[in-house]
Amino acid sequence: MTPSIGLIVNPAAGRDIRRLVGFASVMPHHEKAAIVRRLLRGLEAAGVEEVLFLPDGVGIIGAATDGCPPGLRLEPLRIPLEGRAGDSTEAARRLVEARVGAIVTLGGDGTNRAVAAGSGDVPIVAISTGTNNVFPSMVEGTVAGLAAGLVATGQVEVAAVTSRAKRVEVRVGETEDFALIDAAACRDAFRGAAAIWDPGRVTAVVLSRAEPWAVGLSSIGGALRPVAADEPGGLYIELDSSPGAVGVRAVLAPGLPTRVGIKRWRRLELGEEVSLDATGGTLALDGERELLANGPVAARVTQAGPLLVDVRAVLAGAVVPHV
Amino acid sequence: MEITRDRAVWIYERMALIRVFEERVAQLFADGRIAGFVHLYAGEEAVAVGICTHLNDGDFITSTHRGHGHCIAKGVDPGEMMAELFGRLGGSCKGKGGSMHIADVSKGMLGANGIVGGGPPLAAGAALTAKVQGSGAVAVCFFGDGAAEQGTTHEAMNLAAIWKLPVVFVCENNQFAESTPVSYHCAATSIADRAASYNIPGVTVDGYDVVAVYEAAGEAIARARRGDGPSLLEAKTWRYFGHFEGDQITYRTAEQSAAYREHDPLTTFARQAQDRELLQKEDVDRIDADVKKKVEDAIEFAEASPQPAPEDALTDVYVAYR
Repeated sequence: MTPSIGLIVNPAAGRDIRRLVGFASVMPHHEKAAIVRRLLRGLEAAGVEEVLFLPDGVGIIGAATDGCPPGLRLEPLRIPLEGRAGDSTEAARRLVEARVGAIVTLGGDGTNRAVAAGSGDVPIVAISTGTNNVFPSMVEGTVAGLAAGLVATGQVEVAAVTSRAKRVEVRVGETEDFALIDAAACRDAFRGAAAIWDPGRVTAVVLSRAEPWAVGLSSIGGALRPVAADEPGGLYIELDSSPGAVGVRAVLAPGLPTRVGIKRWRRLELGEEVSLDATGGTLALDGERELLANGPVAARVTQAGPLLVDVRAVLAGAVVPHV
Repeated sequence: MEITRDRAVWIYERMALIRVFEERVAQLFADGRIAGFVHLYAGEEAVAVGICTHLNDGDFITSTHRGHGHCIAKGVDPGEMMAELFGRLGGSCKGKGGSMHIADVSKGMLGANGIVGGGPPLAAGAALTAKVQGSGAVAVCFFGDGAAEQGTTHEAMNLAAIWKLPVVFVCENNQFAESTPVSYHCAATSIADRAASYNIPGVTVDGYDVVAVYEAAGEAIARARRGDGPSLLEAKTWRYFGHFEGDQITYRTAEQSAAYREHDPLTTFARQAQDRELLQKEDVDRIDADVKKKVEDAIEFAEASPQPAPEDALTDVYVAYR
């Protein structure tokens, strides 16, 4: 079988309202194209022959290959594009059907959430180009390409370099969904500009990972009781927006170190269900308001997330000591 | 960002008024009752309304050749607008501007503009006035993806950035410069990306979601009012009509338009606002009926308004500086 990988670039990542309310950088399309250009070189060097990609609609892939075509075949996925997150989910499903060896994503937590909804057991190499990034890593494109290529061509043992991510599963009435890192009950009545950055608008959070180094809601948990990717379970936190509340310092968006009042918090066991009250508000998944909530939201941390590639472990595993 | 019931009523009413106004203008133009050229704004309502909800009469906007929606969102009287389109004396420019040069300075609406890219320098100028006078006013510059490629737009953004002017540049990216797709005319493929080169914030927002526009605009306008300088908002949108009335629209498909209509900004907001109990169904029905009446009244006013006299052809056209 032709060694192939899937490529999903989110053109919308890194350009939302947090550039106005914080000091987040714009991630230009040209920069994404440059990352893809380097990625293709890495993939090719590792022996990948075919890349199936989600057309991005803004010419990122085209710009990446303009003037320097790679020595591998690039095939667009022929799916009707809506310009929404659902495109990434559908693309991931098609890539699973096409039996690609790995999926490379360019985006943030939100992008990977959409991909994870369709990626099944195909390993993901996640390159960060979003605003809040706990799931994807800041990794150079060429290196990510080498890692994805080594996984897709079977030159490293997949089980040794991947891990099953956790996720936060939510149920709002009949609707079931999930977040990779955080699910939050928000006071905002509308989805609006989607991003959340003001702790006063959040009432409670469930985290699959609580990382002290993170940007976003995960950092609140990181300041209370860190929970790493490989530790089972998560955290439940109720926020307190009253002026005298005892709190922690968290970074909810780039350039916005914020004091966050804490009412109570506790560790969650894997699978333990907790109820979030978002009545009349919205439920945010991975930092973006996604669902309008008209009642309680059931949430739990599970181990049913996507298969994430550890890029460093792949390259360490490919060391050839006798040369 | 909180949306009160009053605000929800205003947002829906303004969007509905723009929609009905434009749909009636399309009919009137087809019937030969409006002379000249018209470029219709239907489909893009969420942008003008989401932005102008944060503005008052003391603030300025500059517009494009597709300016009716901006006028309505900024509070220009629909009767005076219709009379202007009809070329009558009761028009906001006494019938001399027509659709493409419609203005109402009393409302801070500095004019539609027949020149693509003509608005940005005017908006920078209005913002400079506000800054020098210390009035606290903000200028908003609406421009299209075609105007984004004009030198005037770059010059205005650069000047606004170095002088830290209270202006918000709002690119209504309806994805076609007349009939040329943005992928063909824009090297960057993203207008918002350019903000980085002026060292100002650049944000992309769903121009079909009025609350998304409202939230981003609120932050950008507050930033300008605080004296923190300009910003660039790119609203991804789609026009339901052609570039101009009479356009055969051979450059895009009916399926594309149908897909946008499924996410229509008016019906989406009406549904969400009812879901959140900010509006009742009766409110929506009443507003729909009210705006229809307003537009019919506007047509009646326009038709009853006299034609300008031939001897007035040169009055109000040039300003004599003494």
